Amino acid sequence: MIVEWIRFFLTALFLLTALVCFTMAVIGANRFGYVLNRMHAAGIGDSLGLLCVLLAAVISDGLNMDSLKLLLLIFFMWFTSPVSSHFLSQIEYYTNPHLYRNTDRKFEDPSSHRPDGSAD
Amino acid sequence: MSIEKAYQILFLTALIWFAFLIFAMLVRSVMGPRITDRLLSINMIGTMVISCIVILSRLSGEAYLVDVALIYAMISFIAVLVMAMIYIPSGKRRARFSEDALLEYRLEKEKTAGYQRAKDGEKAENITGAEGMADDEAERKAEGMADDETEGKAAGTYGTKGKAAGTCEAETGSDGASSEEEG
Repeated sequence: MIVEWIRFFLTALFLLTALVCFTMAVIGANRFGYVLNRMHAAGIGDSLGLLCVLLAAVISDGLNMDSLKLLLLIFFMWFTSPVSSHFLSQIEYYTNPHLYRNTDRKFEDPSSHRPDGSAD
Repeated sequence: MSIEKAYQILFLTALIWFAFLIFAMLVRSVMGPRITDRLLSINMIGTMVISCIVILSRLSGEAYLVDVALIYAMISFIAVLVMAMIYIPSGKRRARFSEDALLEYRLEKEKTAGYQRAKDGEKAENITGAEGMADDEAERKAEGMADDETEGKAAGTYGTKGKAAGTCEAETGSDGASSEEEG
C-alpha cells in the first residue's frame, strides 16, 4: 500500500517536472525574437521534458517490456533531435539572405568565407 | 481517494496541460515569419504529442500505444529531414558567395562610409551611396559593352537579382523555389 503511494508520488513528481520543462520550452520558443534562438528553448523539451515524461511512465508500471520500449524511445529521440536541429539551422543558413542582420556585424563579409581572405 | 482515481486525475491534468502547450506552439507555427520557425514548432508539437501518447497508454492501460509513439518519433524526424532536403540548395546554387552577397557588402561599405563622412561634418549633398555603382559602370563601359547590354547587365545585377533577393525577403515560404530561380 505504502509502496503504491510512493510510486504514485514519484510518478507525479516526474510528470510535473516534465510539464514545467515543456512550459518553459513553449514560452521560450514564443518569446525569443529569432529562430536560431528559439531552437535553444526547443531543446529543453526534446531532452529533459521527454525524459521526465518517460521516467514517470516507467515508474508508474514497473520494469517490463513497455518500459524497455520507452527507454528505446528516449534513446532514439536523444540521437535524432540534435540532427533535426542541425538540419534546421542549415536550412536557415542557406535560405536566409538577411541572416547577418541578427548578428553583431550586421552584414555579411565575403572575405570571411574564402580561405585566402579575398573579398572581390 | 483510491490510487486509481489519483492516477486518473494526475494523467488527465497532464493531458489537458499538454493540449494548451500544443495550441501555443500551433500559434507560433502560424505566426512564425520564416519556414524554420514553422518547422521548429512542428517538431516541438511532435515531441509533445509523443508525451501525450505515452501518458494515454498509461491512463487507458493499452500497451500498444507505446509502439505508436515510437513510430511517430521516427516520422517526425523524417519530416524534418525531408523538408531540409527540399530547402537546402546544393552545389552551385548555394547563394552565400554570390553576387548578391558582394553587392550587399559593397553597398554596406558605401553606406557606412557615408555615415562616417556625415559624422565628420561633410555636407549631406556631397554624400551619396553611389560611388560603388559609378565604378562598376565605368568598368563595364571600359570593357566595350553595348549600351543595351550594359542596361541589361545593370538590370540583371541590380534589378532582377535584387528582385530575387526581394522575393527571398518577402519570405512567403517559397525560398527554395526562388533560390532555384537564381540558379
